Amino acid sequence: MKPIVFAALLITGTLGLAPLARAETAAEIVAAADKVRNPSRPFRSTDTLTEYVSGQPKNQNVVVVLAKEDPVTHQFRNLIRFAQPARDAGKMVLLDNRAFWFYDPASQASVRISPQQRLTGQASVADVLNINLALDFTAATIGQETIQDADHKERVCDHLDLKASNPLASYSHIEYWVERGTHYPIKGKFYSDSGRLLKILYFRGFHEVLGQIRPAEAVLIDAVSSTLVTTVAYGDMTFQDIPDAWFQRDYLPRLQAK
Amino acid sequence: MRRLATCVAAALMAVTATAARAQSAPDQDLDRIPPAPAPGEPAPDLGPASNPARNIYLEDAVTDGGARGGLPVPPPSGPGSSWQALLFLDARATTPLTPQLNFILGARANLRLQEDIAFPDHENVRLDVREAYLSWQLQDGIFVDAGRINLKSGVALGYNPTDFFKTRAVVQVLSSDPSVLREDRLGAAMIRTQAVLANIAVTLAYAPRLYDPTPIYSDVELPSLNPMLDRTNAAERFLVKASVKVADDFSPEVLAYSEGGRVRFGLNLTESVGRSIVLYGEWAGGREPDVISAALAYGRLTGTIPLAAPQVLSDDGGDRFRNDLSLGASYTTASKIVFNLEYHLHEAGFSPNDWRRWFATGEAGRGNPGVAAQLWYIRSYAADQQEPLSRQTAFLRVDRQDAFVRNLELSGFVSADLQDGSGAAQVEADDYLSDRITLGALIFTTFGDRRSDFGSTPAATSMLVKVARYF
Repeated sequence: MKPIVFAALLITGTLGLAPLARAETAAEIVAAADKVRNPSRPFRSTDTLTEYVSGQPKNQNVVVVLAKEDPVTHQFRNLIRFAQPARDAGKMVLLDNRAFWFYDPASQASVRISPQQRLTGQASVADVLNINLALDFTAATIGQETIQDADHKERVCDHLDLKASNPLASYSHIEYWVERGTHYPIKGKFYSDSGRLLKILYFRGFHEVLGQIRPAEAVLIDAVSSTLVTTVAYGDMTFQDIPDAWFQRDYLPRLQAK
Repeated sequence: MRRLATCVAAALMAVTATAARAQSAPDQDLDRIPPAPAPGEPAPDLGPASNPARNIYLEDAVTDGGARGGLPVPPPSGPGSSWQALLFLDARATTPLTPQLNFILGARANLRLQEDIAFPDHENVRLDVREAYLSWQLQDGIFVDAGRINLKSGVALGYNPTDFFKTRAVVQVLSSDPSVLREDRLGAAMIRTQAVLANIAVTLAYAPRLYDPTPIYSDVELPSLNPMLDRTNAAERFLVKASVKVADDFSPEVLAYSEGGRVRFGLNLTESVGRSIVLYGEWAGGREPDVISAALAYGRLTGTIPLAAPQVLSDDGGDRFRNDLSLGASYTTASKIVFNLEYHLHEAGFSPNDWRRWFATGEAGRGNPGVAAQLWYIRSYAADQQEPLSRQTAFLRVDRQDAFVRNLELSGFVSADLQDGSGAAQVEADDYLSDRITLGALIFTTFGDRRSDFGSTPAATSMLVKVARYF
């Protein structure tokens, strides 16, 4: 091999462009970013949702999230139990594959809800769920961009266009920026069915947890109201065995003591 | 090879140039992001943590109402109390006794004053023990429960035909919102076993008969401490229900229920349609009498209606298969307003002809208190059973969080009799002043012609103001 060819390949390899024979597909990038966000083993986290109005923290919800990948569909099943505020303590949301259920211990009734239903602040139910986007969306690469992350640090990202591949996906269209090389999810833009920008999402605070570097916090910026921002801090993440039966809606009243 | 090298170099330059072009401008949204907590620093703490296994709150509610005059068939008991002041402490708690054994308690202690109750009187102080039972987990997913249990079923909001244990269970009505009515009701003494496995859940419940049927309670004759098991355990009742996951988002639930030798069957279905719509249906059916026959038989059984008294309104001739149905859809808008629209069918209820006969009999029987007493007893019986009086109704509920201002939740419903156009409507506003304090108000009204379902009730409007403190 001539030195100039070797040098060119070395340079392109250094920039992450080496595998010219087989570039990563958009779907593979999204799947890799899913693995950064979601541990493959069942886990539990305590998420703190803080709503900021004009930069000041105003409301706070604390939810306990239990998540487990379905071995058949490979999509996550989620249980969300409210811990704060006191008036909502004990309420639960269950995502069992495609079905969302809301359980209120006061009425002891389970009501089926849609993924768009609101949780708190700018966060809808779907925003605190652990979901493998690669399974619900068809991804295409728009290009490569250098963008600023939530901490104003420049990141070289694949800019991806995600279109919902099943009608029950939480959003119809997402623009997604995933850092090249690390596959860290950096930014997302979420759109309504009509194409209206609903919210902008940034991940930040990448640190090692459950055996891998993962984001510590999501920041949801309201695209309509200029004063509203909601942060979702993922805390106390631990692996936990979760029986499949817990994801049955009939089990929800039994989880009060878990 | 030189040509290849040139191509690679050109490609590299092109990629680099493209990357340079793709350098996005700084995003102004970044300026809205609050500063990140320092490593190891928790998120801002806006309040003390709550225990999700325990929910305790204190509420003070004052109600004032206005009565409707000029009724063609006035109720013999009068229009009822126009005002009420209620202070109550409500508690729900799950207490682990051992890793496999839990004690579940749900109770409400009431202090009440109202126009037609003297003060001081034992009626001023009341305790409702909604639930008190032991739950034993034999193994994960297999449970045996014993005690007073609130067993609820159904997927609809406005009317639950499969909620077989709802009858006679509502004690004190603060709001006509069906979801609130479900909150403060008495459970039945029963033994329940439940198996919740990965794709199937089966529940068996047996509630023994412990008391003879008792007359319908009046609002001013409620016991202070008596658990009122006569309301929930005056018949032997069995329930079997099972839900099976047949698809990712489809788990139908089937039910079979027996009470006093009558068997009813039920079915609950839900299905999502896209991101914003959920369809649901709830059906129950079985052999039963119409509401006129059932009410008057219960009145005679409990001594409220003298055995010798002639039946003033004829029924439709005994038991036959009748259907109850609740079909609905919920829709969540992009701005997070949730609409629920439902159609309700209760075949044992009044037909338009039954209503015409009810008014004609009442007007013809003016001056005979026994006639009005029987006619209004039928309506009281339907309310006590938590069943609609008319055969066909429509129900619309709307809920919006952060309505117009932050932390203000607005909800309201309209329940309309499809046979005569009359109805009831309620609007409720809850202002979450803080994580612990909620200030609320609601207005309830009925509308319709004086010779209609809702227009013939003495309650015209009422207003409630409340403040709740959560612990």
